[in-house]
Amino acid sequence: MRKPALIVFLLLMAAVAFAQDGPPSVSFQSATPVVVAPGRTSQVTMVFKVGDGFHINSNKPLDELLVPTEVKLSPPTEIMISRINYPAGQKLSFPFSPDTQLSVYSGEFKVTAAVRAAQNMPAGTFRVHGDLKFQACTDRQCFPPKKIPMQFDVKVEKAKRSRRG
Amino acid sequence: MKRNTWILGLLAIVVAIMLVAPRFVKHRPKTSFSVDAKGQAAPEFVLKDINGQQVKLSDFRGKAVVLNFWATWCPPCKTEIPWFEDLAEKYKDQGLQVVGVALDDASDEDIAKFAREMKMNYPVLLGKEETSDLYGGVQMLPTTFYIDRNGKITDHVLGLVSRKEIEENAVKALNTKTEVPASEARAPKLEKEKAR
Repeated sequence: MRKPALIVFLLLMAAVAFAQDGPPSVSFQSATPVVVAPGRTSQVTMVFKVGDGFHINSNKPLDELLVPTEVKLSPPTEIMISRINYPAGQKLSFPFSPDTQLSVYSGEFKVTAAVRAAQNMPAGTFRVHGDLKFQACTDRQCFPPKKIPMQFDVKVEKAKRSRRG
Repeated sequence: MKRNTWILGLLAIVVAIMLVAPRFVKHRPKTSFSVDAKGQAAPEFVLKDINGQQVKLSDFRGKAVVLNFWATWCPPCKTEIPWFEDLAEKYKDQGLQVVGVALDDASDEDIAKFAREMKMNYPVLLGKEETSDLYGGVQMLPTTFYIDRNGKITDHVLGLVSRKEIEENAVKALNTKTEVPASEARAPKLEKEKAR
């Protein structure tokens, strides 16, 4: 009874991994739970991971021709996203150009953003979709710019009644 | 219960096929070119260069061609470009032609500006997805094909390699026996002291 389910699960996981386009250089790991009251602002932290052996440009690469890493979010109308904040890149040189420094992310990196719920927003959970655009390289080769999807949920609390004296 | 498991399994297989199928249908390069490109005929293409002129691969018939796919956002490609410039100059009288194909998101103007700044002394063509597909789908850059005077691929190199290896591959392409009569087909020798 359990065996067929396990086989199906493994098959599905293999299919998902195989269906990825190109090397699995960057993945969306998680986002912190966001709870916000109507008319108030909260913060989300999105966690990404660059695969071993890869690096991607930071949000502020040192050369204008390099493709910056960017998060684009498409929230529902009553949710406003602002102040997307990227970490500073590590300044590193690579074997392909030992005399030049690049500003890159490798391993895990976090991007934060402010999340505001509209004043008239009803209570509930709302999903924010988005993507991360990046361009990955190894020590010897580079891969075309790519986008990976990401999402997080925003829980909007019930509006608190203001007390009247 | 058992029936539910099988329905669930069937559903999972259907989802898996849906996920996997686009890989073979949507992104499959429209070519019979195989990954192991050695010995195959280099596919013909027509592309515009950065000056707006149409260039065909067959324009270089009788020459050995170093066909380098690159992009402005690719630092390892930038490392190789001066080596290709030196190679183009050093072996031009012996019939070597370096050709750069930009597979880039940048505008044509930015590619041209980059080529001028890098002083690229060989044709720089504005590549298309179809060009990449013709060559088996160029998935990573730099990718370089070495083509002999007869239009056959002698080497296919993915990623940055040493200047020495690039020169050795170019000389191999030049020295490969050709069916095309070429008066300038002198066998070049690798100048090891410069290759280091």
